[in-house]
Amino acid sequence: MTTGEMAKAPALFLRNATGLVKGWSAFDAFAYSFMSVNLVALGMFYSLAIFGYVPDGSAVLSILITAIGMTFMSIAYAGLIAAMPRAGGDYVWQTRVLDGIPGAVVGGAFGAIATFLVATAFGLDTTVAYVAMAGGAIVGAGLGLWRGGIGFVLSATGWWFILALWAPIYAFIFNIEFVQPLAAVLGWKDGVTFFSGTDGGFSVSIFTIVVTSGLVALGMAGYARIQKWCLYIGLAALAVMFILMAVSSVDSFIAAYNREGQALFGVSNAYQATIDQGTAQQVAGGDVNNFSVGVPTFALVPFMLFFLLYPQWGSTLYGEVRGAGDFRKVLTGFLGGLWATAGLAVVFVLLAAKTFGWTFFNASNATYVNHAYGYVPDATVVPIWGFPGLLASYLIDSHIVQAIIVIAFGAWWLGWTGTLFLSSTRMIFAAAFDRVLPEWAARVSDRGVPWGALALIMIPSVVLSWLYAYQAATFYPLTLDATLVIAVTFLGSSIAATILPYWKPAIYNGSPVARFKILGLPLISVAGLLSTLFLGWSIWAWIFDANNLYGIGTKNADSIKFLGALYAIAAVVYIVARLWRRSQGVDLDAIHAEIPAE
Amino acid sequence: MRVFFATDIHGSEVCWRKFLNAGAFHKADVLIMGGDMTGKAMVPITGSNGTWRVTLRDQETVLNGEDEVAAMEKRIADRGYYPIRLTPDEMTAWQADPSLVDTRFKAEMLAQVERWMALADERLAGKGTRCIVSPANDDIFEIDPIIAAAKLVELGESNNIELDGLALVSTGYANPTPWNTFRELPEPELRQRIDGLVKDVPDKRRAIFNFHAPPFGSNLDNAPKIGADMRYVSGGQALIPVGSHAIREAILDYGPVLSLHGHIHEGRGAVKLGKTLSVNPGSIYEDGVLQAAIVDLDVKKAEVKRYLLING
Repeated sequence: MTTGEMAKAPALFLRNATGLVKGWSAFDAFAYSFMSVNLVALGMFYSLAIFGYVPDGSAVLSILITAIGMTFMSIAYAGLIAAMPRAGGDYVWQTRVLDGIPGAVVGGAFGAIATFLVATAFGLDTTVAYVAMAGGAIVGAGLGLWRGGIGFVLSATGWWFILALWAPIYAFIFNIEFVQPLAAVLGWKDGVTFFSGTDGGFSVSIFTIVVTSGLVALGMAGYARIQKWCLYIGLAALAVMFILMAVSSVDSFIAAYNREGQALFGVSNAYQATIDQGTAQQVAGGDVNNFSVGVPTFALVPFMLFFLLYPQWGSTLYGEVRGAGDFRKVLTGFLGGLWATAGLAVVFVLLAAKTFGWTFFNASNATYVNHAYGYVPDATVVPIWGFPGLLASYLIDSHIVQAIIVIAFGAWWLGWTGTLFLSSTRMIFAAAFDRVLPEWAARVSDRGVPWGALALIMIPSVVLSWLYAYQAATFYPLTLDATLVIAVTFLGSSIAATILPYWKPAIYNGSPVARFKILGLPLISVAGLLSTLFLGWSIWAWIFDANNLYGIGTKNADSIKFLGALYAIAAVVYIVARLWRRSQGVDLDAIHAEIPAE
Repeated sequence: MRVFFATDIHGSEVCWRKFLNAGAFHKADVLIMGGDMTGKAMVPITGSNGTWRVTLRDQETVLNGEDEVAAMEKRIADRGYYPIRLTPDEMTAWQADPSLVDTRFKAEMLAQVERWMALADERLAGKGTRCIVSPANDDIFEIDPIIAAAKLVELGESNNIELDGLALVSTGYANPTPWNTFRELPEPELRQRIDGLVKDVPDKRRAIFNFHAPPFGSNLDNAPKIGADMRYVSGGQALIPVGSHAIREAILDYGPVLSLHGHIHEGRGAVKLGKTLSVNPGSIYEDGVLQAAIVDLDVKKAEVKRYLLING
């Protein structure tokens, strides 16, 4: 038999049995990745709105560099999914791979760094900080040695705790991309005033928490249908925006902006006034045609992670008897979502520079951030943020059409917000089944509503929403912490991917990803290592940037204390759970203890 | 009494061996296998004259000599697939005549169950650990007598088994699936079957239900939704309950101390239905990991003292 004939022969014979399916479409994988790396809800809200802070950086190259870094992470995650398809994500991957010595090293290093930073943030003496660091290293290493400890701490913080901070951030996005623009174009001035204030912000947060909880109660099957329509509607809105921007000149936009500034907000010559304010605050510089690969460009990269960090969010491979084709399909979906978004982001910034004017665009964004985050006391020229969808809609002189465009853009938020608590509830369920959390955390009502898990994410979400609204000066600047904590979780999985072929060869060798090599090295290890380096560098930049560019590092003691509290709570929950279960005669070590086969 | 319950190992050699060792490892008094023991796929190893080729999970490997072939066969078997050596001529014949595939499939399943029962008799001898195996919807009927013939393994299906004062009631029949498998019944008939099995249990609270299908809407039965073309809907993100209404109602009506389920590999979990603790340990047999539930029972009070879902 020739090799060619062999290739035509079936690789396996299947019988009729439960669970054998034909897989899923690559488009589905792309759609979920694309909505997770959300160009509008995440990108325009934050990452693409901060270029004014680093005027010497290259906007275009920062997006592309970030996408390259995230490509490595996408490969590592696709490999983990292919190697442990139904394991359930970061929690189980880290629990199963980061044990023993690697777990102790990761836990020890993490514990040492975290405790030293927290001790320093509290202003403790250097000697005391080093003592605390040693204690943190011991606790971290102990958690790493305990099967499941490091996996719980990294996953509970990234998939549960920090999503309580994401709740008011999701709400803030909804507020300034949908509620306030809609109120403005509909002429509801009291609405603009109310929702721009603290009470309005808190109200939107509560609304968001109720909606996202309702979507969890609805179930993913129902929500998935909504998501599909949101994707199509959102893409249509984006296409309209791009067309309007492409066919309009900057002069026509200036005229439109000034017209609406006067009509909606009673502000004359709003365009130039915005530029003047941005110039005064030194956030209106930069050149979109700058393509220099220098330090300023790399300084933008951690900002870009706010939206490009999530191509693999929510992806789990189901089914059995699967092969390398699934690795490729998953990876294609991830990279499709990632690079389609990166490409659209580049198109967007180029169009923004062409039509809105780069100086105005940066000034409009940064002056709003400066005001909203309490960096400066000055109110912005117009009382709402210049959401790009709204700005583009101004090019049509009809408030009804403007409202329709704003509503259509709301699909980007609605199609993505349902995953907020869904991710948390899955993590809480997994921890409850592992007996780390009480039984009631995994209970569901007769209608299938996971009320226990929902309560565990809703209650802290309400608390943080209140703080976000009424302690804005402290909590708004913590926005990037929401990304940092998830990046730390992904860093743990990247390390797990790196060591998988060497530490758990039985799992790796039997997986379809084992066939992929680079220079004789396992692809998953190479990608995992590059992802580890990329995420590690980004986390280092966030925390140690000397100029406090990101607002969350060592220059912001509140941020370090907040992060420290999250990780401390996770560690305490795990340690208490172990002791509590031991008193009940339940040995949590047994959960992951491998039974000898012979 | 400590019960060790695993299910849905689908032909995985390593999972069966772990199962047999679980009694000693986890100090269990009773081992219960919830069914779907037999594999779903055969992997052909094709060649002749000492050189063989095999494609496992899209990874083609050339094997030289008996040692390499044997190592590959073990790897395939540990994943739950049946390794089949075929000459090129046999492969051609198999492709032309599906009945040859069906015949070999059946032979492989029966041979494996016979081998497993012999291994059980060998490993459990003198241990004092009881072992109950109850085939389920993916298992052909012909394996039942093989299990029943084993010395140290008891056949669960339709046989009420006394366990230290509790009654183990088993059936591997499930509500209908899109795959039209061997042991499926419409919901009303499934309920009749359960009622028939339970009627001989004097104190229903002192029963353990070992019903393969999980109760509907219990979260133990959440599976990715599939369309008419047998592809996942919404990228597998859309989970829907696919469990049995009859089993749910039976649990709520009779209130046994414990109910054991499988069938839905993604439905790992434990829930309280009325007074009953219902568990589905899930299955990731292809990884060679034996997921299981360890349940400690107070047989005097007919209560669950503690439980743990493990990845062994």
